[in-house]
Amino acid sequence: MLKIKNLYAGIDGKEILKGINLTIQPGELHAIMGRNGSGKSTLANVITGRDNYEVMKGSILFNSIDLLGMSPEDRALSGIFMSFQYPVVIPGVNNTYFLRAALNAKLKHQGMKEINAADFLRLIREKLKLVKMDEKYLNRGVNDGLSGGEKKHNEILQMLTLEPALSILDETDSGLDIDALKIIANGINNFRNNDRSFLAITHYPRLLEYMKPDFIHVLIDGEFVKSGDASLAFELEEKGYSWLEA
Amino acid sequence: MNYLQKQFDALLKYWPNEDQALRDVRLKSFDQFKTLGFPTKKWEEWQFTDFSAIEKTDYRLSWASDLPQIPDQIPGQIEDCHTVFIINGHYQPPLSDIPDGVTVVTGLDHFRSNPELYAINGSKNPFLALNTSMMNSGVHVLIKPNTLIEKPIQLIYFTTEFSDPLMNHPRFVFHIGKNAQANIIEHYLGVSTLSYFVNSVTQVILDENARLFHVRIQEEAATGSHTASTHYEVKSNAQLNVTSITSGTQLFRHDIQLNLQGKGAEAILNGLSLTDNSQHQDQHVVVNHENDACQSHQLFKYILADKSSGVFNGKVVVHKHTKQTDANQSNKNLLLSSTALMNANPQLEIYSEDVKCAHGSTTGQIDPEELFYLRSRGIDLKKASELIIGGFAKDILDSIKNENVKSYLNNKITNWLESVLNDG
Repeated sequence: MLKIKNLYAGIDGKEILKGINLTIQPGELHAIMGRNGSGKSTLANVITGRDNYEVMKGSILFNSIDLLGMSPEDRALSGIFMSFQYPVVIPGVNNTYFLRAALNAKLKHQGMKEINAADFLRLIREKLKLVKMDEKYLNRGVNDGLSGGEKKHNEILQMLTLEPALSILDETDSGLDIDALKIIANGINNFRNNDRSFLAITHYPRLLEYMKPDFIHVLIDGEFVKSGDASLAFELEEKGYSWLEA
Repeated sequence: MNYLQKQFDALLKYWPNEDQALRDVRLKSFDQFKTLGFPTKKWEEWQFTDFSAIEKTDYRLSWASDLPQIPDQIPGQIEDCHTVFIINGHYQPPLSDIPDGVTVVTGLDHFRSNPELYAINGSKNPFLALNTSMMNSGVHVLIKPNTLIEKPIQLIYFTTEFSDPLMNHPRFVFHIGKNAQANIIEHYLGVSTLSYFVNSVTQVILDENARLFHVRIQEEAATGSHTASTHYEVKSNAQLNVTSITSGTQLFRHDIQLNLQGKGAEAILNGLSLTDNSQHQDQHVVVNHENDACQSHQLFKYILADKSSGVFNGKVVVHKHTKQTDANQSNKNLLLSSTALMNANPQLEIYSEDVKCAHGSTTGQIDPEELFYLRSRGIDLKKASELIIGGFAKDILDSIKNENVKSYLNNKITNWLESVLNDG
């Protein structure tokens, strides 16, 4: 599904990722762990096409399509989603209207009929229950007046609504208390199936206790220094990162 | 200037039997205008706006003979309103629908019987003086005391196509009687492909405990120039709620003066300016807190595209010995291009201690983080920009209660945005 080959990328001329190779198959959940500044978020931003990030070398293929050079919206329409580490507040843009516009952009791209307001409301109410969010959020501005934890719920709500093939979860566990973490992990787990893939970025192994990864990659200074299965998370919890540093 | 003298002489000749008191008001005001002259870059309060186009164009006053055949469809009509039509400066009673409890008198009749209401004393605004000398149009609207007018009253001031450059100096008075409540839409529209000039003055008086929703919409043709003064007097415990949306003309200057005169008077002033191409819009607002326990809340936003420019100058003056003042003023501007220009100057003058005041001004471009967030959800760049800009404008309409008025303005903003984003 996602194939990253020998990727060198960075920002403002500074190289941050130094030769990343990663292949994610349908249905797999990969976790990338590493300290702050190791390049985890850079990888997420490069995959989703954020401005200012430049790719110096290498390639990213998504379902055999070359992602580099595609606009962020075209990447999203081809099935990539990112749950933001810091979701953006956009006052004045109604949450429901925004979510329906996003879903309709996807439906249109797939050559399907757009969803009307009434049907969308029925759909979104079901999704709200899955992440235990109050309906009052629907009429607010995008992330307006939401706490850090509520914003993360809203990210997962968007994921459940847009049903992407690949979900990148950028520090989705940060800022969540244990109950909220369980709700979100539960929402994600129920969403997992044999077709959907995930790339979870975190520097705590905590999220991975609730959401079992197929693979874990440790990122240090822009390079994967170790990859393994779920047990690597516990090893990291015990030993930290220093034993992996050169 | 010469054309104005010629037109003024013609006006005096056109109404030879005008009452002497009114004549005196006109003559005195015209003298004042001549003394002041057109504003120049050296006038501090006028420095960012170039009025030479108005000065150089040979406009003539509109006469009764300029009344065209009434078009079948007059644009801008808002659903379910009482409508008052003024076409090329001429009030059209047969087309208009005046509800019980409201009196509408043509300006000309009202000037004659109440010249003292129109006299201006010592104003430094040349366009106010010019209007007072030449006032040839407009209506006086009285909402009788203790009357509640449910449906909005929409005044449509429409300038049609004609064959030479026309000008009008409409004078409006909206007088809301004690305990009365109304919703008045003052709506300027034009379709002329030739240059024209509308120089309006509106006096709004809210008697004790009155309540007015005043919506001012300026969507003149791009060929027009519009200068305006709006003067509000708010008596004790009266509540004024103003929303001003302006998108038309090449050149727009609006001076708003709000005097909170009575104890407990309250006002909300919201404004949205939409400019593109080489449009220029200049708004000056002065809010005077003259009594105790008065509140004023101002929010003025500009959205500027292309090479357009805007000026916002807002001043809140809290007079001596007033108590429990609550005043805030906010100005926010969004530049949609690197060639758009905004001049903002919020000011506070406080001569009292018992005051809660806040003011601020920000100017910036669309936040790239907001754009990326929406695009990362599959929303294309144009639609994402439209959502963000529309969201920026949205709270200006928050205090409008009437759904028809709100939806007219929402559509207007959406259409404007679509045209600006399609051009870009």
